[in-house]
Amino acid sequence: MAIVTEYYLLISAALFCIGLYGILTRENALLFLMSVELMLNAANINLVAFSFYWGNLNGQVFSLFTMALAAAEVAIGIGIILVLYRNFEGIDVTEAATMRW
Amino acid sequence: MAGAFDFVPAIAALPFAAFLVSLFFGRYMPRGGAEAGIIATAGSLLLSIWTALTVAGITGSATSYNENLFTWVAGVADGALTLSFGVLVDPLTALMLLIVSLISLLVHVFSLGYMNDEGETGLPRYYAGLGLFTASMLGFVFSNNLLMAFMFFELVGLCSYLLIGFWFRQDGPPSAAKKAFLVTRFGDYFFLIGVVGIFATFGTGLFAPLTEGGSVAAESFPVVAEHVLAGEASVETFGFGAQTWFTILGLLVLGGVIGKSAQFPLHTWLPDAMEGPTPVSALIHAATMVAAGVYLVARMYGFYLLSPQALAVIALIGGFTALFAATMGVVKQELKQVLAYSTISQYGYMMLALGSGGYVAAVFHLTTHAVFKALLFLGAGSVIIAMHHNENMWDMGGLKEKMPVTYWTFLSGSLALAGIVPFAGFWSKDEVLYEALIHGFGSANGLGPVYLLAYAMGLLAVFFTGFYTFRMVYLTFHGDARSETARDPEPVRWNVKGPLAVLGVGAATVGLINMKPVAELTGAHIDFLHTWLLGPEEGGWPALTSTGLHHYEVLMEEFAGIQSAYPLGETPTLLASAAVSLALALAGVLVARSLYSAPEPVEHTDRLGSLKTLLMHNYYQDEYQVWLAQGVTVPLARAADKFDQGVVDGVVNGVSSVSLFAGSRFRRIQSGVVTNYAALMTLSLVLLLVAFVVFGGVSN
Repeated sequence: MAIVTEYYLLISAALFCIGLYGILTRENALLFLMSVELMLNAANINLVAFSFYWGNLNGQVFSLFTMALAAAEVAIGIGIILVLYRNFEGIDVTEAATMRW
Repeated sequence: MAGAFDFVPAIAALPFAAFLVSLFFGRYMPRGGAEAGIIATAGSLLLSIWTALTVAGITGSATSYNENLFTWVAGVADGALTLSFGVLVDPLTALMLLIVSLISLLVHVFSLGYMNDEGETGLPRYYAGLGLFTASMLGFVFSNNLLMAFMFFELVGLCSYLLIGFWFRQDGPPSAAKKAFLVTRFGDYFFLIGVVGIFATFGTGLFAPLTEGGSVAAESFPVVAEHVLAGEASVETFGFGAQTWFTILGLLVLGGVIGKSAQFPLHTWLPDAMEGPTPVSALIHAATMVAAGVYLVARMYGFYLLSPQALAVIALIGGFTALFAATMGVVKQELKQVLAYSTISQYGYMMLALGSGGYVAAVFHLTTHAVFKALLFLGAGSVIIAMHHNENMWDMGGLKEKMPVTYWTFLSGSLALAGIVPFAGFWSKDEVLYEALIHGFGSANGLGPVYLLAYAMGLLAVFFTGFYTFRMVYLTFHGDARSETARDPEPVRWNVKGPLAVLGVGAATVGLINMKPVAELTGAHIDFLHTWLLGPEEGGWPALTSTGLHHYEVLMEEFAGIQSAYPLGETPTLLASAAVSLALALAGVLVARSLYSAPEPVEHTDRLGSLKTLLMHNYYQDEYQVWLAQGVTVPLARAADKFDQGVVDGVVNGVSSVSLFAGSRFRRIQSGVVTNYAALMTLSLVLLLVAFVVFGGVSN
């Protein structure tokens, strides 16, 4: 018997909330990036779940694109973190607060 | 076949070419660009003679010309204005072209003696200025519409500025140039408003209708105004009665005339303009700048005749200026200053003539004055060369034997200026006064007394004119030499004597073109100028031309209400008027002779007492104008500045300071901490979701 779609949605929502919690509380840039990845994948799960529910493959195809994009995003994100480390001798995101008025 | 009229634009284009040549290549020429100017003005003179002969009907059948040559703003919409450059040639234009190009040619030749032989520097600039000056005046003369006339009028003003300030390294000339420019600009300001008003009212600035095959193709503004007053047409008059509005327009244009023709109260620039080189003074006074104002009134005389009030103002200003300036000329010590005040006074006579319906008299006096005043200034220039640029008459004396050519020609000019028979000034001045007199007696509608008052002032000025003129002659040429330079004056050459001789003969004879008293007495038709302005045909110009004397005479009776009356009968009145003005002029001459004809003349001005101080200070005209500028205009400008800085800028600054303040508060949200941004984003998303829930989401 197939698992009902609601469970997928629940797990996705849980994953999203974990990610959100991580963003709001963590100061380490790497953990920040991981939390973002969690939120992104929560969205992916949603896409695949709805695709399964409607019997339409579009959602799954889009989730593949999202993964490719996420890979690129991580590459840039890690680059930024490297620069952050060089300039601030640490990767605490709350330290880098000078780019404002 | 190309006739003379096709070459009229070249009359102005030639001096303009001379301006360019002198400006850019003058320094490579042996005489600093004078060659170009002399050739160009000689060419202009020949073309002007040809034009005049054509107008007189001698060379063909076409006798007047009015065409638009170049349209530079073409109105497309209904009722839009079309602005063009065009040429209008009628007897007045032809006469003035002749005068201007003749005087300009003589001034160019004279400049060889006054500038080149004296070793002046900056000659290319000088001759370029003369060329542009001549070109703009000639362009002004043949303009066929008011806007074109205004443009050239301004160019004339600019050139006077450049030439008066020619010796810009000294103190006096630049400030005199600025004064001339600003004072005439002040008048031109009103002129410009008048031009705009006339275009807004009539939709055209044409002086005379454009005709095609005997019918009117484009109407002129004086004729439209005439139709409006006759009730045959209507124009926008901005809430005034048609008559009142035309008077306002006329007076606005008159502002420019008063500035340029140095009439009271804008005459103050002219005596100061004596700081410029003397040949330039001759050009300014005789033919170009100052004549422009009077010429403009004569040009649009058909418009002024529609408004008796404007005519009254012109006559009063003219009469008053004639007397006022003449009294100031009495006490001046410098040769050119006396001549400057005489110019103001003589242009007053022309205005008086125009105001009192003496169109022929005004044009006549303009002609004769151009000749004898150019002569007097060139003569003064000759004396100034001889005196090594000392202009004080009390240092001269006894120059009669040492420079006979200058003396005799200067005497001829002085007799003309004083109005002694049979020199030119007598005939024209007498006609001016005669016209004012008979129209003063004849006109009923309130104009009569005004004319008589103006006549009285003009008549009184005749005495002063005779006096100051011969005071000048006696002090300069008679008696014993009163300084070392006067005992041994520098000789002048042919290029000074030549123009003097030409003008000296002219000053004696040019009055013969309109000897009205003689014509009246003998019944011979020798009032040539009258015939010339009336037109070549029997009965004057065709009515379509609308700038002929015949048309003006009709307007004078129908609209201005000017009529002639002869208190003693026609011929006796004419003779009495002539006799009175001649007697007054002679009286002035004799008083001057008795006071200043001694070998060692002494100053008599002290006998005038406090009046002397008043006259020496020119009735404190400069002082009160400076006071007006400093006491009224400057505080006014300061108040306006306060208003601008305080109120206008204050509002703008206030508005911007509000957003500046708001921005300075709001920017504190930007903490730079990524976590805060994330929190704000989350919060906003939650709020958005809540809002969707509460308000039921987006419905389609």
